[in-house]
Amino acid sequence: MGAAIGTGDKKSVNVELNIVPFIDLMSCLTAFLLVTAVWVNIAQIDIHPKGKSRDQTLKTEDLDKVVLSVLIQSDRIWLGLSRVNEFQSIDKTADGQQNWDEFEAKLREQKSSAYFADRTDIEIAGESTDTNKVSYQEVITAMDRAIKAGFVDVGLSDPAGLAARPQL
Amino acid sequence: MPVRSPGPRLYRSVKFEYLVHSQAGGHGVKASNIALNLTPFVDMMTILVTFLLMVFSSSGEILQAQKGLALPTADAKDVLQTAPVIIVTKSEITYQGQLIATTESVMRDESPTFKIDALFERLDAAAKKIKEDVALGKLSPAVKKACDDMRNGLRPSAGRYCPEGLAILQADESTDVRLVNKVVNTSKAAGFDNLLFAVKNK
Repeated sequence: MGAAIGTGDKKSVNVELNIVPFIDLMSCLTAFLLVTAVWVNIAQIDIHPKGKSRDQTLKTEDLDKVVLSVLIQSDRIWLGLSRVNEFQSIDKTADGQQNWDEFEAKLREQKSSAYFADRTDIEIAGESTDTNKVSYQEVITAMDRAIKAGFVDVGLSDPAGLAARPQL
Repeated sequence: MPVRSPGPRLYRSVKFEYLVHSQAGGHGVKASNIALNLTPFVDMMTILVTFLLMVFSSSGEILQAQKGLALPTADAKDVLQTAPVIIVTKSEITYQGQLIATTESVMRDESPTFKIDALFERLDAAAKKIKEDVALGKLSPAVKKACDDMRNGLRPSAGRYCPEGLAILQADESTDVRLVNKVVNTSKAAGFDNLLFAVKNK
């Protein structure tokens, strides 16, 4: 970038910077960045389809430990502990939405319990029917809340394959 | 008739006389140079470039925009990495951009295997190829390390997973969870044990 000092008048102290190359560079950079810009921030939730699909059997070691199972239904969320057969139900809020805050609070409670203090695994399933649908967004929100509560090893399961399934 | 320089003009018949007058040095000679004030332009460009640099993603776009697909939202911030992409829109299921089946036909299918056969075939072939590549060591050192860590039972950091058994599921937020279960079961049966669910940041 050039600079002309003292143009014309001997007493002049004005400095004229040649900003043409600068504008050229900025224009090219702007064009490049506009073309390559990614406007939507996409992230990921890592899940492991735990081996509990219909055609698989449980391993012996899986049966020995208590598993935290989450079943999402269209009107409520069930939290269950296998082996001890403890179940908690979280009903929808008054405005008809799933009560995700209470769900997260209950997960945090479980995380601080002796069963899961040193564990991070959880299994989640959504039970959908033609009349009572459960959407993918609800499952994702449940996974997101579980990760926030410290259960980072999220497993997706069929409702029938949950280790702890409420008897309805 | 003498040939004259046309001089600065705004349009064919509108001269920049008023500008030229204002630039006159007072020596009785009309200056023909016009000084444009470039400061606001440079300011705007600087702000625009700064903003664009902030939103710039060096990893590029891993996922492609699809018609009829709105990703679910989540607070998760883990970055996505390149892997085979299974897309489930409101109307169809595609794998790597190729149509596999319509969602309606998959939902109607009550087969006892509980998987999507056409998708299984594609995924099975892809899983075998990836496994072969990993076995032959056709990987960068970082990916190789991620694969070694996975075999040793170590949890890899986000965006640095071993490509073996790794796939991305890009599904519409309103997709019935039964359909998601079918896709996940099919992926697992084909050897994709680690699925990355693509989500939009809140």
